[in-house]
Amino acid sequence: MNEKDVRLMNSIMSGLGDTTQGGAVLLDVKSTQFVRVSLVLLRGLSEELQMPGIFISVDRPYQYMVHLLRMHQINPAKLTFIDVISRFSGDRKEGNANVGFVDGPFHVNSLPEALRQWSATIDNGVVNLKNCRFVLIDNLTSLLTYNNYSHVELFLRDFVEMLKSNANVLAPLMIDQERSPLLYETAKSLCTKEIVMKEEMRQVPTAASGKPYLKVADFRYVQGGIQG
Amino acid sequence: MSGPVNQEKSRQAGLVRIPSGIPGLDEMVEGGFPFPSVILLSGTAGTGKTTFALKFLCRGAENGEQGLYITTLSEPTQWMLRFASQFDFMKQDYFGDEIVYMDLGAQLREMDPPKLLEVIEEKIAEVLPQRIVIDPVTVIGSMLKGDYRTFLFDMANRLKNWNATTLVTGEVNPGELYPPEISYAVDGIVLLMLSEEGGSRRKYLEVLKMRGTNHLTGKQSIDITRSEGIVVLKARF
Repeated sequence: MNEKDVRLMNSIMSGLGDTTQGGAVLLDVKSTQFVRVSLVLLRGLSEELQMPGIFISVDRPYQYMVHLLRMHQINPAKLTFIDVISRFSGDRKEGNANVGFVDGPFHVNSLPEALRQWSATIDNGVVNLKNCRFVLIDNLTSLLTYNNYSHVELFLRDFVEMLKSNANVLAPLMIDQERSPLLYETAKSLCTKEIVMKEEMRQVPTAASGKPYLKVADFRYVQGGIQG
Repeated sequence: MSGPVNQEKSRQAGLVRIPSGIPGLDEMVEGGFPFPSVILLSGTAGTGKTTFALKFLCRGAENGEQGLYITTLSEPTQWMLRFASQFDFMKQDYFGDEIVYMDLGAQLREMDPPKLLEVIEEKIAEVLPQRIVIDPVTVIGSMLKGDYRTFLFDMANRLKNWNATTLVTGEVNPGELYPPEISYAVDGIVLLMLSEEGGSRRKYLEVLKMRGTNHLTGKQSIDITRSEGIVVLKARF
């Protein structure tokens, strides 16, 4: 992880504020930067704050994220992966982590119920929301490839509702507002914070370039909802 | 027109596209290359493959995207930069920072396919690029210890999962269109061609395949200029 990423991580963590409060937080992220932002979020939450969490892998098999985390000295042991795509993609890359599999990315609206059921099972050892402090989904928008919009919207509402019943679970939701304005607006109505970082990320210079640093993140927060 | 169907369609996620950096090409492929994807750029010697690839990376760097240039030629960075710096779009400051250069030449002679794939993936995981170039991929076939086709298949599959658009260049002999060993594993094929017409050689570009894209077919005239690199001429007139 280079200096730019560390600065980005500090900025996002500062934007998230008190992570013990939980709830859904909306991050406006460029589609091409989802992996990078996932990585810095996991570094901040799992490694720096030592928070146990769940990573839901929709966009690519979980092994790629495990590989990425290890390469960046982030221990995946605190994470539980829910892999929605591996059994669908048939990828054979090896990965060693705590993982639960879902049969495929279709019928995503059943995922919150699956999480509830897993968590309700005593000693399940794989996925338990009660033991986790955050849930991160790698690419919400890619769910629209496999489900119609109303199912994804239903999933999002149910997912956030489920988190409310586990009051201190934090859920950063990454969506590219420019590409998915409808999904973004739906998520925005469900979140308590919004962190806008696209333009700022684009302009972040490197330490070596000697250019003045620009603000990396900007966020608007209104208790109980978002304004503006 | 069926309203509800169109309404639902507009709510679906379209492909993310990134600009190719080649003036005139994006208009041929619905706005840019799909992200992520693996695109084969094929052509004989002198058709502008490396120029295309460098412009692709520089366009990304302009946009704040990280690039990774993997060369299989064991060519020193400064040697490549020496020629590439003649183009106005090339900013040497990009190299080492926004564009990371990796020389795979030495490893090609020593490593078996799984190890080589591991080395490439380690670099990708380290750099986290949104744009990758492997230039030229065809050299791997002549140097690799092991099955080239299996390596290409595995490489293309892995690259698709690293959240990047990868441009692999392939050198072909005159008369050939593209290296067939990799064509089935890629999401797009762009051809760069030379054609002898009236005593001179003219350059053309053709999009042969671009998955998920209603692309323009047929050969388009191109030029290579100092200011912009490769330019699709049809877009100009």
